[in-house]
Amino acid sequence: MSTEPVSVKSVSRTAFWRSQASPGVGQPVTPERKRGASRGAVGRYIVLIAFLLYCILPAAWIISAMTKDNGQIFTTFGLWFSYPFHLFENLSGLVTYQDGIFVRWFGNSLIYAGSISFGSTLICALGGYAFSKYDFPGKKFLFNFILGTIMVPSTALVLPLFLMLNKIGMVNTMWGVILPSLVNPFGLYLMKVFWDSSLPNELIEASRLEGANELQIFWRIGVPLMQTGLVTVALLAFVGAWNNFFLPLIVLSEEKLYPLTLGLNVWNSVTAGAGGKPIYNLIAMGSFVSVLPLLIAFVVLGKYWRGGLTAGATKG
Amino acid sequence: MRRYRKTAFLFLAPFLTVFIAFYLAPVGYALYLSLFVKKRIGIGPPKEVFGGLANYIRAVQDTDFLNGLKNMFVFGVVQVPIMLGLAILLALLLHQSRGPFMKACRTAFFMPYGIPTAIGAMVWGYLYSANLSPFNQILKAWHQGTIDFLSPAIVLFSIANIVTWTWTGYNMITLFAALQNIPQDLYEAARVDGAKTWDIVRRIQIPLLLPTLQILFIFSIIGTSQLFTEAFVLRPLGYLADNITPNLYLYLTAARDANYSYAGALAILLALLIFVISGPFLRRVASR
Repeated sequence: MSTEPVSVKSVSRTAFWRSQASPGVGQPVTPERKRGASRGAVGRYIVLIAFLLYCILPAAWIISAMTKDNGQIFTTFGLWFSYPFHLFENLSGLVTYQDGIFVRWFGNSLIYAGSISFGSTLICALGGYAFSKYDFPGKKFLFNFILGTIMVPSTALVLPLFLMLNKIGMVNTMWGVILPSLVNPFGLYLMKVFWDSSLPNELIEASRLEGANELQIFWRIGVPLMQTGLVTVALLAFVGAWNNFFLPLIVLSEEKLYPLTLGLNVWNSVTAGAGGKPIYNLIAMGSFVSVLPLLIAFVVLGKYWRGGLTAGATKG
Repeated sequence: MRRYRKTAFLFLAPFLTVFIAFYLAPVGYALYLSLFVKKRIGIGPPKEVFGGLANYIRAVQDTDFLNGLKNMFVFGVVQVPIMLGLAILLALLLHQSRGPFMKACRTAFFMPYGIPTAIGAMVWGYLYSANLSPFNQILKAWHQGTIDFLSPAIVLFSIANIVTWTWTGYNMITLFAALQNIPQDLYEAARVDGAKTWDIVRRIQIPLLLPTLQILFIFSIIGTSQLFTEAFVLRPLGYLADNITPNLYLYLTAARDANYSYAGALAILLALLIFVISGPFLRRVASR
């Protein structure tokens, strides 16, 4: 194959900017397209619309179910609204049910995702800087070794982690979720690549001549040039922590410490279990509220999100 | 550069600390634990005694575990190609034209990836469930009977559908980004030579997507081996075997049966298996 490896920079800055540019710029115009809309174009739209409907199917269920009461959820069509609306009742039900435990779960998720995002971004920025800007013995081996651990299945890791946390008394604490999540090999990799492209070595040399020490160079000169890299890694870490299920499931036993994903799952198993009071309306409402921060991040910061993810695979 | 060695180490120290403490140490601890077995000696609760490779020998003879692996193998050869094929098709279609509709499609296709797996799986569970499923509501309205999506015979396909729903968009976006990086001159040269759309797809786009595709394939295989949340979340809604995925089996061995040393051995075997499967692909990708 003759493709050149694509750097993160070119993916995140070039491809995605270009993809959002005005229509037609740099676009391969196929002979068919020039001849005008034909059977091919109709087929294309059918495929795209079919997949679009498939993608929003669960969202349709959530949005219709969160405006219904439990009776309506069972008796009316699951993918459309029914009258009367119960949206506001469900919203107040959500925040008051079981003494407002949902609010607590939401707060927990914010604490977990916020601290993991901040901590791992800082750690990866520092570590990536070391790999990008310094030479030391064993550097290449260490970098490849850390990268290789991305391939280790997370269960193979989380279960042993539980055993170890159990031994040192960190099970069922917030630290048991936060500290292990700070390990982010992919974040380190992204940071190294971003440092490579964002901070020219000449600038470091010049700053040294001016008498700046290494930490000052990192902090005062490097960090301001790294906005894209920092936002990308922080965002990916936040989303990963917000969505995490397996680690908190294994580490936490007290419902008060649960993040949203785990809390909703408790409601789900109780509701679905024998004799459980059905609260599908609250689960639907809760699911929507849980996804909302991600949707906002997605709309506002989508280009960082996609840029960071695609960098992992297109950098061959 | 020699004078900066210590500085480099200081920059690296925070990462290495958490990496060693919460990554290498647990793996080492699991290795150590996996060498012990529970034994009842005389009267009293069972004790952990050194058993050498006993747990590993038990694991490779454990039909429940092996059936779980078989499920994952079937999953890998059926679901992964369907998902990647769909992702290629969608990426190529979206690459062919511009406009707000195409942009909306890109966003909507990628959206499921951003939804927490636990929530996505739960809502799909309701779409499947006997009482709530809108599919069954439609079938009933047409007097066609109902389908139990969570019955043992088809539940694996129901899970495969959730995984496809979640990950197709991620794969599509990645392939789309790779397509954007194909130089324009290649298309122009091909068109001058009279190439049709299909020729361009087959001779230019697919071959140039191969490196990206290989990495996505490895990611998907690793993802398949890690399947857990979907099965775990669906369990209260229907009948799902304990060993429907190896990971669920592992989890239950530890969390329900409290057999930690055996779970440790299973975890290590699973990791080794993934390495053996993805290793050759990785080497090929790395040598490129």
